[in-house]
Amino acid sequence: MATINATMSLSSDISEYGLSFSKTMQMNKAGSVDGLELTTGLARRSITNTNHVDLLTAGAGIAVDVTASKSAKVYIKNVGTDATTYINVGFGNASTSGTATVNDNDATFFELGRLYGGNWMLIPWIATSTTGDITIQASVATTAAPQNIEYMVFFE
Amino acid sequence: MAVTTAALTISSSDLVGDALSLTTSNTLNKVGSTVGIDQTTGMSVVYLTATTNIDVFPTLIEGSLAFQDKASWVYICNKSTDATEFATITISGNVIGRLYGGDFLWMPWSQSEDSAAENLHGDIELAPSVATGMWFDWICVNEGTEYPDAA
Repeated sequence: MATINATMSLSSDISEYGLSFSKTMQMNKAGSVDGLELTTGLARRSITNTNHVDLLTAGAGIAVDVTASKSAKVYIKNVGTDATTYINVGFGNASTSGTATVNDNDATFFELGRLYGGNWMLIPWIATSTTGDITIQASVATTAAPQNIEYMVFFE
Repeated sequence: MAVTTAALTISSSDLVGDALSLTTSNTLNKVGSTVGIDQTTGMSVVYLTATTNIDVFPTLIEGSLAFQDKASWVYICNKSTDATEFATITISGNVIGRLYGGDFLWMPWSQSEDSAAENLHGDIELAPSVATGMWFDWICVNEGTEYPDAA
């Protein structure tokens, strides 16, 4: 087993009472103190169109062993610097076209949030068969001016 | 304007052949701008004694479009020291993943309204795995919050 530590720090002057914290988690296997031992490594993907597509597919590739009874963590970052363009991150079935799958309640697709340039996220992932795919869609992107993301999955 | 910075370091000396070290940081801004986010729910410290699925941010109005697609960032931490105790995190009943004891998440949140009228419009929900008592911390740092009118 490996020891993987993730430390998040947040500091802000948003409140006159102060807002600052730091938290470290050790990425462990589900229900265990044994560390996760597999990773995709840090991957980089250049997005050259605005199609709604899968970033990570449940039950396939590295996710073939990711289930509700196992632990996985996903890190994603929009490595761009533009504050006006974003990557929309969601869960479910990607439409593969420029129009995203309808955000409804039939476990087909739901939207999580947007990563603007420089934004990052770190979430758990159980890759369920219904809404388990992690999808992305760029607000704008062309071959000449792509948006780039980096991502990394830690799993067991 | 406020300046809020979220930073992350991921490190491991034995996951791969060479030491892994990743550090990143970003300032939380309002949508499409370089103006800092200026509102927050504050950090909640919560003790839950049932496995009931709950709304993490109950003051946010279900079905409100006021802050859909605005900038909202969510931190949730399962403070349990028991590695077997977890919380299942969902949005409108659809599972994102599980936070085991000591785990946290940090993610953007669109508060996106879905097309199903009966749905809960992007609510973030949490269900503890045990009813013997679990501690959580959570906070939303956001561009705006529409609070419900008094009953």
